[in-house]
Amino acid sequence: MRIDQPLRTSAPLSRQQKNDASEPIVVIVDDDAAVREALSELILSAGLQPMSFASTREVLDADILDRPGCLILDVRMPGASGLHLQHHLAESGNAKPIIFLTGHGDIPMTVQAMKAGAVDFLTKPVRDQTLLDAVIAGIELDAARRANALVVRRNIERLETLTHREREILREVARGRLNKQIAFDLGISEVTVKLHRANVMRKMEAGSIGELIRAWETLPMTMREAGGAWV
Amino acid sequence: MTSAWSYRPQLLHLGLFFAAYVLGCGFAQALAIVPGTGISIWPPSGLFIATLILAPKQSWPWWVLVGCLGELFGNALWFHSPLPAAVLIYAGNALEAMVGAWLVNRTLGRPVRLETLREVLVFVVLGAGAAPVVSATVGSATLAWFGIFSQTFLGAWPLWWIGDATGVLIVAPLALVVIQNWKRKAELSAARWIEACAVGLILLGVAALSLGGYLPFAYIIMPPLLWAAVRFEFKGAAVTLALLALITAIFTISGASQFAGNAENQRHNQIMLQLFLAISAFSALVVAAISRQHQLALLTLSQSVEALRDRERELSQIVNMVPVHIRRLTPEGEPTFFNKRLVDFFGFDLQQLNRPGTSQLAANIETLVHPDDAPSLLQAVRHAVATGEPYSMKYRMRRADGVYRWVDGRAEPLRDEGGKILQWYAISIDIDDEVRAQEALRDRERELSQLVDALPVHIWSWTPAGKLAYVNKRSLEDLGLSKANFEDTVRVAQKLVHPEDAPEVLRASANCLKTGDAFMMRYRRRWKDGNYRWIEARAQPLRDQDGAIVHWYQVSIDIDDQVQAEEALKSSKRQLEQMIDAMPFNILSFTASGKMTYTSKRYLEDVGSPTADIKDFDALARDVAHPDDFPTMFQRASDGFATGQPFVNRFRRRNKQGVYRWIEARAQPLRDADGTIVQWYIASIDIEDEMRAQAALRERERFLWQLVETLPAMIDCAAPNGEPVYRSQQLREFLGYELEELDGKPKSRLNGTLDAGVHPDDVAGVKEQYAHCLTTGEPYLRKHRLRRFDGEYIWVETRAAPMRKDDGTIVQWNVICLDIDGEVRMQEELRLAQERLARASQAASLAELSASIAHEVNQPLAAIVANSHACYRWLSAEPVNVARAKITTERVIRDANSAAEVVGRIRALFKQSVENRTSLSLSGVIAEACNLVAGEALRRRIRIDSDVEGRLPPIAIDRIQIQQVLVNVMRNGMEAMEAVAGEKSLTVRAHCVGSEVQTEIGDRGNGIEFPDQIFEPFFTTKENGMGMGLAICRSIVEAHGGRLWAEKNEPHGARFIFTLPIVGKAAP
Repeated sequence: MRIDQPLRTSAPLSRQQKNDASEPIVVIVDDDAAVREALSELILSAGLQPMSFASTREVLDADILDRPGCLILDVRMPGASGLHLQHHLAESGNAKPIIFLTGHGDIPMTVQAMKAGAVDFLTKPVRDQTLLDAVIAGIELDAARRANALVVRRNIERLETLTHREREILREVARGRLNKQIAFDLGISEVTVKLHRANVMRKMEAGSIGELIRAWETLPMTMREAGGAWV
Repeated sequence: MTSAWSYRPQLLHLGLFFAAYVLGCGFAQALAIVPGTGISIWPPSGLFIATLILAPKQSWPWWVLVGCLGELFGNALWFHSPLPAAVLIYAGNALEAMVGAWLVNRTLGRPVRLETLREVLVFVVLGAGAAPVVSATVGSATLAWFGIFSQTFLGAWPLWWIGDATGVLIVAPLALVVIQNWKRKAELSAARWIEACAVGLILLGVAALSLGGYLPFAYIIMPPLLWAAVRFEFKGAAVTLALLALITAIFTISGASQFAGNAENQRHNQIMLQLFLAISAFSALVVAAISRQHQLALLTLSQSVEALRDRERELSQIVNMVPVHIRRLTPEGEPTFFNKRLVDFFGFDLQQLNRPGTSQLAANIETLVHPDDAPSLLQAVRHAVATGEPYSMKYRMRRADGVYRWVDGRAEPLRDEGGKILQWYAISIDIDDEVRAQEALRDRERELSQLVDALPVHIWSWTPAGKLAYVNKRSLEDLGLSKANFEDTVRVAQKLVHPEDAPEVLRASANCLKTGDAFMMRYRRRWKDGNYRWIEARAQPLRDQDGAIVHWYQVSIDIDDQVQAEEALKSSKRQLEQMIDAMPFNILSFTASGKMTYTSKRYLEDVGSPTADIKDFDALARDVAHPDDFPTMFQRASDGFATGQPFVNRFRRRNKQGVYRWIEARAQPLRDADGTIVQWYIASIDIEDEMRAQAALRERERFLWQLVETLPAMIDCAAPNGEPVYRSQQLREFLGYELEELDGKPKSRLNGTLDAGVHPDDVAGVKEQYAHCLTTGEPYLRKHRLRRFDGEYIWVETRAAPMRKDDGTIVQWNVICLDIDGEVRMQEELRLAQERLARASQAASLAELSASIAHEVNQPLAAIVANSHACYRWLSAEPVNVARAKITTERVIRDANSAAEVVGRIRALFKQSVENRTSLSLSGVIAEACNLVAGEALRRRIRIDSDVEGRLPPIAIDRIQIQQVLVNVMRNGMEAMEAVAGEKSLTVRAHCVGSEVQTEIGDRGNGIEFPDQIFEPFFTTKENGMGMGLAICRSIVEAHGGRLWAEKNEPHGARFIFTLPIVGKAAP
């Protein structure tokens, strides 16, 4: 599996404020202005880009959740709580990594948050390194998810260039079936299968049969199950 | 040759001629009964002569040629003569025909008709007598010379001559008739045909009898022959002769005739036969000609008689139809003839006039002429008859219907050569219409003349040259002149005209005479009494058809009175105008249609003269009125003009300087006796100052009004009895209905509003206080809930104050109603917060307390920690970011302080310090505490009765702590009444007892079970209570140097009492 850009580690992060959309941002949501400021300052001092909001409503209105990065949420807030926002994001298919912060966390709440995929659940006051580690982990997770999504999208695009017959061939090959078997199943000659297969390899930009199968594996399950029939 | 060729007859005619000629030759041969002569009757001679008579001379060679061929052909068939002899004989025959035709034509001219006796005789003598001489001579000579039939010249000649003559007599007429009538139709009637047939049969019968020998005398044939000649004229004669010749020939040839005989008397018989035929033919022809001549004469006579009759009828018609009465008289004057017009006029005939015993003339005149005119007419007629002179006279004649009409009568005598009078011819013409028209004309003329004289004007007429032609009587009377005075026209005219006007009059009249223009002038003319009077003189020319001036007519009217009146009017108008101009307002007048008729001088001075194009109200208004005011003003004016109602307009008008000033214009129509509007008068007054004052006033009012309307308060005005009379917009909008909507309901406006608007829990108190204020006149102040238009109850603060007159009576209540819902709710929230705090202070649960404290403190702590970490990182970064570190540090300090504050606040709850004590009256604190629990009390449906002494002395207390005590105790009391049925009320009383202020809070709960233990810490009767409340309360009260205890309340419930020492006695 190829990744287009290497993941950035925390250490050499640029100190400059970067405003371009690919720069990861750390979204802080806390109703207490002092806490909000302090957390922003801490993130900033770690060379990351913070963005703070007083309520979950404001976050949704700001429309920045598509940008790379992670979220730091206070659990208890007036209006919709942090847990509520997590639930909402999960429902809308946004898998943004979330770090919860609370003054007094109880166990059921923690379990609920972690089950729903939170990166971490921290209590106030929090140690800087603990928080920053969680933030870095969140950003990395986000980057990995995004890179994967990119590969999948590219493979889907390539798959879409295949003809119906080629898709059938690809599916059979991915199942590990021999050319001979495929030819028999489809009622065509083996030479034709080989020809299709070569076309598949070229269109999917796979160097080897292993790469082809990996690319196949990245496709969403629904697409794979549907085989060539879904387009 | 050419001419002969061009006159060639038709070949058909030539052919017929040839055939007839040959046939004639055959006929002659058959009748040649004398052997050896070959000569008998010679029909070709008749045919030849008749043909040439009718044919043009130029065509004769053709006929001669064809005749020659026929003769030679006949010769070859029958005669067998030697050719030279035949040719010679033919030459004689042809010569005979040409001579005969030439002679007949020459004598009778063309065409030959043989209709008169002369013609017949000429024909017989020349054609049948003379011409055969030629033929007989030539023929006989030829026979003799050639010795044919051994004839001698003299022996043959008579036979020859008679034969040719008989041939001409019998055949020529027949040929003429046949040729001339060839194409005509027979014009015989049936009777004539029968007659013709009868004659034919008789002729045949007689001929047969006589020639057959039964009758001894051949000439018996003559009667039928002559009958035919008389009845059928030439045609009949010709045809019967031909028949006769045929019959005779047949009988002779057959030998039955008496002319046939033996050879001895053959010659004699021959001659007899020829003579018989010649005489018969001659007689028949002569008789036919005479008969024809007689017939023609009869015809001519009858035509003449017919023409005469027509002429007479025509004349008679003329006499009867001319539009003139004509009559004929005897020399003695007696009428002998009336024409039809006259008979029609009179209605009777001449015969009916005849009366015995009187002269017809006198009788006629008496009867028919108007009695006035009769004697003179009679005399004139008699005179004319006596002298023979013609007369002419106009008189009236009576018409048949009895009407007399004017006629013009004239009479002339007809004389014979000797000069003797034979007849009188008289005519009379109806001139009645003319006479009457003339009379009417005369009457008219007389009337006109009278009119002209009677008219109170001077009428003169002038010749084109300027001479006076006529002067009416009136002029002469008025001016004291006679007609003679006017002889010298110009001089008299000069003398009559006022010296001042004379030059102009003379100049104008001279000019008019020259140009032909009408003359019109006003000038003064001298009357006979020597006074000058104003006249208006007009002169017009009368022109003929060519446009040349025939006469000038001048009429002069005395207008002296009018001029005087005008003068008076002018002077009065001037006075009026002066008066109007002196008045301090402007006056305009317009006609009913809006035309401007008058503008006062003052108007012109103020506004300036309207420009030339402004002629009516419309234009003037557009010009001077302010554009903003114009539409209203114009609309009102238009309505006024339309309806005829007086109207008033206030608008800005531009004055001469171009400045707009307010004016008030009042318009009033002037009507005549019928009510029709004659004039509109508009008077306008400057009201600028007034308007300014009014505008200022209005502005003030508007300002105030807006103030009231826009104030963020609901304002209400009420009558002295409390009935609302006005509500501001805010209040109306709040309530959602207009004040007027309350009218017509059983409740008064006030009660309606209160019942509908005030919260049911508050309404009793509100009403009570209202009633109190209205009776006492005290200002009103109360907070209560008021129902908003959407049904929600809003907290309001209502204040009302009376507005009084100088004498103190209340005119109006002014009410202001403030929306304090926000405040009340804020207070409520505040109270809730406090309650939370208070509850927390009650330490209902240590864990909860600590959790709460932890949360409160933890937030700033978290911020401090985070900031500190950030600060550390800024400081340890390369390079060091001091600026951010500084900011971070500042935040750390800030957050730390805030954490300390939180802690301090918590501590203050329990701290029994005196620093916070202030000297204040307990009543305020109690009121606040009551307010704090008011909401809860409402929820729990508990009434709080507060009875706080008005003038409690101030005491040194910690307000919050004492409040907490009050709230705590009151809430305990309310909680104690939770399960109690019936009336729930909490009583709060405060009053001075000696040197202390005692406060009692009583409830109607179930009372206290353990009055002593309740103040111990951690003692509680509540499920979730900590038992700390009353302990803390007691410690607070005691810290203030007071006491707190509980008692039983009456009739049931508990009463908590605490005392606080008055200032100065507080414990240290």
